[in-house]
Amino acid sequence: MAVFALRRLLSSIPTLLIVTVIVFAMVKLLPGDPARLILGQEATPQALEELRRSLGLDRSLLQQYLSWLGGAVRLDFGTSLTDNSSVSRLIAQKLPVTLELALFAMLISLLISLPAGILSAVRRNTWVDRLLTLLALSGISLPNFFLGILLIYLFSIRLAWIPASGYTSLLENPGRNLLLLLLPAITLGVGSAAVLTRYLRSSLSETLNQDYVRTAHAKGLPGGQVISKHALRNALIPFLTAFGLQLGGLLGGAVITEQIFSIPGFGRLLVDAVFTRDLPVIQGVVLVSAVAVFLVSFLVDLSYAAVDPRIRYN
Amino acid sequence: MRKSQFLMAFLSAAFLSAASASAQTLTVGLDADPPRLDPALSTALVDRQVMNQIFDKLVDLDVNLKVVPALATSWKVTNGGLTYTFKLRSGVKFTDGTVLDAAAVKYGLDRNRTLEGSARKNEMNSIKEVKVIDAQTIQINLAQPYGPLLAVLTDRAGMIVSPTAAKKAGADFQNNPVGSGPFAFVSRVRQDNITLNANKSYWGGAPKIDKLVYRPFTDGDVRYANLLSGAVQAITPIDPKDISKLEQNAKFNVLNYPGIGFQGVWFNVTRAPFNNKNFRQAVAATIDREAIAKSIFYGTVTPAAGPFPPGTPAASSAITVQKPNIALAKEKLGGKPLSFTLLTVPGSVTTQLAQVYQAMFAQAGITAKIEQVEFGTLLDRADKQDYDALMLGWSGRPDPDGNIYDFFVTDGTNNQAGYSNKTVDSLLAKARAQTAMSARTATYNVALSTIISDTPYTWVYFQRNLVASVKGLTGLKPIPDGILRFKDVDLK
Repeated sequence: MAVFALRRLLSSIPTLLIVTVIVFAMVKLLPGDPARLILGQEATPQALEELRRSLGLDRSLLQQYLSWLGGAVRLDFGTSLTDNSSVSRLIAQKLPVTLELALFAMLISLLISLPAGILSAVRRNTWVDRLLTLLALSGISLPNFFLGILLIYLFSIRLAWIPASGYTSLLENPGRNLLLLLLPAITLGVGSAAVLTRYLRSSLSETLNQDYVRTAHAKGLPGGQVISKHALRNALIPFLTAFGLQLGGLLGGAVITEQIFSIPGFGRLLVDAVFTRDLPVIQGVVLVSAVAVFLVSFLVDLSYAAVDPRIRYN
Repeated sequence: MRKSQFLMAFLSAAFLSAASASAQTLTVGLDADPPRLDPALSTALVDRQVMNQIFDKLVDLDVNLKVVPALATSWKVTNGGLTYTFKLRSGVKFTDGTVLDAAAVKYGLDRNRTLEGSARKNEMNSIKEVKVIDAQTIQINLAQPYGPLLAVLTDRAGMIVSPTAAKKAGADFQNNPVGSGPFAFVSRVRQDNITLNANKSYWGGAPKIDKLVYRPFTDGDVRYANLLSGAVQAITPIDPKDISKLEQNAKFNVLNYPGIGFQGVWFNVTRAPFNNKNFRQAVAATIDREAIAKSIFYGTVTPAAGPFPPGTPAASSAITVQKPNIALAKEKLGGKPLSFTLLTVPGSVTTQLAQVYQAMFAQAGITAKIEQVEFGTLLDRADKQDYDALMLGWSGRPDPDGNIYDFFVTDGTNNQAGYSNKTVDSLLAKARAQTAMSARTATYNVALSTIISDTPYTWVYFQRNLVASVKGLTGLKPIPDGILRFKDVDLK
């Protein structure tokens, strides 16, 4: 297992290098001159030239790439063009916020999808299944921004139970932190719960048709045990893959949710950076996201072995 | 059982923290996160909302756009408009304890006009030197007469930073701004909040509120929802579509007052098709400014005749809003086909406006294609004169010069049309050197009649300042620059 993990990590270095080239090139291809955007309508030609020089925009692309990469491997992504603060520090501030939100959303998603998916599969083609299918389809179709605004309207404006926006860190005030993250986490979690419910339903249905499940039943094992001990373990493999993909997607999907609930997270950092052409921030955020998605898929691979004893990485 | 206990814990935590926030905290929702809290480096309008509370300026504006004393208690203009002598208020200290005297004011002004990357250089380039006369007297000597100087000093150029703090923080001053204003900077979390505390020893008396928190909400609906839910007690701006709902809601006050900026369309006069004056006039004649104000902006903007909004010093009733005239437009076209690309930025209002223009042009048989690019690209292409026509406005300046000079003088920094007219150049220079506003207004109006006839730009509407607050908030003054001053504001 450890050897596999190490080999997998090492083999990813070339991939990550390619990712850095793509991230750098992508940002360079963005239209618009950051100096012009920073100085706005009041810019004079001299001021523009001074700023371009101090931003290093007058150097060759290769020079710019190498100095950026050199910094990135030391986790130094330069300074923000907007307010001169360190990009690494910004990322370190914002990433935990989004991770917490994503994990909270995943928790909600699991709490909904596991029982719903199992129930759907076990009671296949009954009214329960049909109702759950309908709910899942609505969950998939409901756009994040709509659900978010709906929740704000209901819980913040109508009922006045939960503040409409804001963020308090977990360490500062855990109760308020969870309260403020509840609506955004539901907003994010519902969509992925719907997807995961469908995945679990189909993979579990398939497993329930297998011979060994029938054998287990024939041996007289109680239904609950057949499902939890025999069928569910096998059905969980595709579910885990989907879960990993969803988690990766959540990090990206948090963008809109963070915007609606004014959460100072990773997604909003990116959106604002794109609007202000804050190139170092865009590069840093996209690179860190790419690494994060890679790490998630790596962890999902490792978790297969934990769930299914037949899978061995030797 | 456990679920309901969990919920109760949640709710009581929320109540506790709401109570500990205390009634004297005022939270204000803005439409953007202010990027740079440094008067020398700031280029965004929204920065000024925050900086105005942190920094005192040499002089300030009142509701009639009149220049009134602030750090300077009085001033004299001598030597044919070349020398400005200011008497400074005594006993003023920055919030870090540094004494605010003539030397500190000289440091602040010099920093604003010389700091590398300073965005103030252009508006302060007529200043030759800033001289300390004595501890409470400062003199500004100009290279050539510049009437707008006082008005310029009511904005960022006149904001005085603490020399001690500025020298210590260096490039990071924008994240640790220190001034002598009614509020002192405490902290900022990017995209979440900027927190200021009342300056209890403020020379003009301590503010009535203890804490001022700014929060950015880029989405208008989200800003509105946060006001409704009580998360913030004031927002600016309000989306035009939400105005009437707020006005009818007994819990809120709406301030809707004139601003100093304008919006309209530039024509690139350096290349076809708009090197043809008749074509520019034809397009301008198709625009129904009243209809735009009513249909797109729900009456929250004023149709514009020129660069000076009604109520501002140089506004003149002699210049009237152009009425749509399709027959005139057709006559100007002279049967020739006109098609061009209209450059604009994305956004629901700009898109809608561009489409309305398109339909209005079409009435005279003019075809316009809409192209949307982001703001930096739009400015870049405007600089390079790589466009046919583009939608661009200006946030406005209290002195009329700031709304006209750089836009129409040959090679002006905001002359996106590439317009050049010797008569206009000399008139704009003359107005700048005149000191009496009545004389300047007369000169501007002569220049304007030529500019309007040449049509390198056509004005469409003036924006208004739209602020909503809870009923308990009192003391907000409608100062046309749109910057909310919270020193005398109370929250019940």
